[in-house]
Amino acid sequence: MKRVLVIGIGSPFGDDRLGWEAAETLRRSGDISAATGGIIEISHLDHPGSLVTMPWRDTDCVILLDAVRSGALPGTPHCLAADELAGAGLACSSHGFGVAEAVGLIRALGGMPSRLWVRGIEADPSWAGMSLSPAVASALPAFCVAVAKEALELSFDHPTANANPA
Amino acid sequence: MTEPRHIPITLPVLARVEGEGTLELRVHDGEIEDLRLRIFEPPRMFEKLLEGRDYSEVPDMVARICGICPVAYQMSAVHALESLFGVRPTEWIRAMRRVMYCGEWIQSHSLHIHMLAAPDFLGFPGMVEMAQRHPDEVRRGLMLQALGNDLIRLLGARSVHPVGVRVGGFYRAPKQGEIDSLLEELRAALPQAEALVRWTASLGFPEDEQQFTCVALRHPDEYPMNEGRLVSTQGLDIPADLFEKHFVEHQVPHSTALHCLHDGKPYLVGPLARLNLNMDRLPGHVRDVVDGLRLGFPSRNMHHSIVARAIEIMIAVHEAIRLLESYREPHSPNINLRPVAGVGAGCTEAPRGILWQRYEIDAAGKVRRARIVPPTSQNQARIEDDLRQSLRCFGTDRREEELRHHGERVIRNYDPCISCATHFLDLRINRSASG
Repeated sequence: MKRVLVIGIGSPFGDDRLGWEAAETLRRSGDISAATGGIIEISHLDHPGSLVTMPWRDTDCVILLDAVRSGALPGTPHCLAADELAGAGLACSSHGFGVAEAVGLIRALGGMPSRLWVRGIEADPSWAGMSLSPAVASALPAFCVAVAKEALELSFDHPTANANPA
Repeated sequence: MTEPRHIPITLPVLARVEGEGTLELRVHDGEIEDLRLRIFEPPRMFEKLLEGRDYSEVPDMVARICGICPVAYQMSAVHALESLFGVRPTEWIRAMRRVMYCGEWIQSHSLHIHMLAAPDFLGFPGMVEMAQRHPDEVRRGLMLQALGNDLIRLLGARSVHPVGVRVGGFYRAPKQGEIDSLLEELRAALPQAEALVRWTASLGFPEDEQQFTCVALRHPDEYPMNEGRLVSTQGLDIPADLFEKHFVEHQVPHSTALHCLHDGKPYLVGPLARLNLNMDRLPGHVRDVVDGLRLGFPSRNMHHSIVARAIEIMIAVHEAIRLLESYREPHSPNINLRPVAGVGAGCTEAPRGILWQRYEIDAAGKVRRARIVPPTSQNQARIEDDLRQSLRCFGTDRREEELRHHGERVIRNYDPCISCATHFLDLRINRSASG
């Protein structure tokens, strides 16, 4: 059994809620905890800087859940490996300290888990509501099913688990 | 005959400064003719937003002004309102406010030292690159920052924009168990904070003594955070509610942030000013460590600000331990109060310097007018003065890249929190020479 960490990153506003909503949906479903007895841990964060101080050395796999803005169609699912995060390792300021910068710093400090990637859904840039946009909300259920399946396979070290996400 | 040479330089991202601005420099025959730190953050209208709101909403609203120093905004606000309502906080409330402020100083200063300032002294473009060569120092900085956040969370429920503070005290008192586990962390952190002071003091500093006026709070017994009179190195010594008689904000055409002058002149607020004016208020062990450094405090070298921040981290860890060791759960974490109409002012020491607020409240407890003077607007004129002196000493005939880097470094000494937005600085140099 492997230790898998699923971390939803977000804020209370609009599509930025995605990480929290996905983490909450996974936690509520109960499938993960019932199947593995707690080897998969689900948590949520309000700012990526906290990732840096998390004890990841004993963790085999980390899946970060976050809203994405890449110019793709709103609702499009994304999967990015750690070294694909644009800007990771660049000089930065505290206000611009995002997931990429946090991962860059963790790598520089030698604290990376064996595997880490980001799963997300393309946010709707025109959406100004407090809840998720319709496009992201409709993509959320399938997204959570995919993350749950992946986390379960990883925790049992299933041969088809996502060893090198693309 | 003058032959102007326009050399516009655009730096797409100025990392390690909290804000958005442009430095414009006009040089003629090697002399700086004009220097302007243009701040173009949009006006945020917080003072206007507060008008008509109930006094009890103020602490939560002003916390939103800054993600790094929300506690400072809350503390100045509650002190202003309580002074108006004639309320004196209990010893427990007073102690816990100081503990919460210690948390903010620790996290804000750790952030600035490691993420923004130290890479300058060690020749790295940023913290990530510095972490590859100095992982232990960066880990120590991250640990201290996390500890500061934990202290804020203890009383504020969360570390960013905390919600535990109210006029008259706190919404909730921590349980003894929470205090005990934090005390353990704080005791372990004290030697780390001392090592941080020694490490920052060992960084190489440019020789750059300047003349400037320091302004800070001064308390009869303590290193100042929440209380004290306003004092300066020029002999000012007034209660905080007389701030407006001696400090005047004015608009300058090149900045959306107001400049503030003391008796018509620029002045410094922040860690170096506080330390310079309060050396005799350092806790005993901290004083021993400071006296053992090869740097001389009080200091006129702005590059020593990074050491002043480290010293204040050590003070804050020491103070938090002292206050939490005598913690007792109170009967109530707040006191009853009744709003009255009138005007009240409060001033506390934000990580970046004095933060002054004044509120006019009506008989129903609603805000009629609010005024907030943050430290960065107070330091702006001083930053421009410093840039003029520093760049002249550095040599204005140097390459633009060198001038830009030196200018940024000077600005970083002040840890300006220009806005909570993006981080762009263009350096625009207009050089001309007499033919």
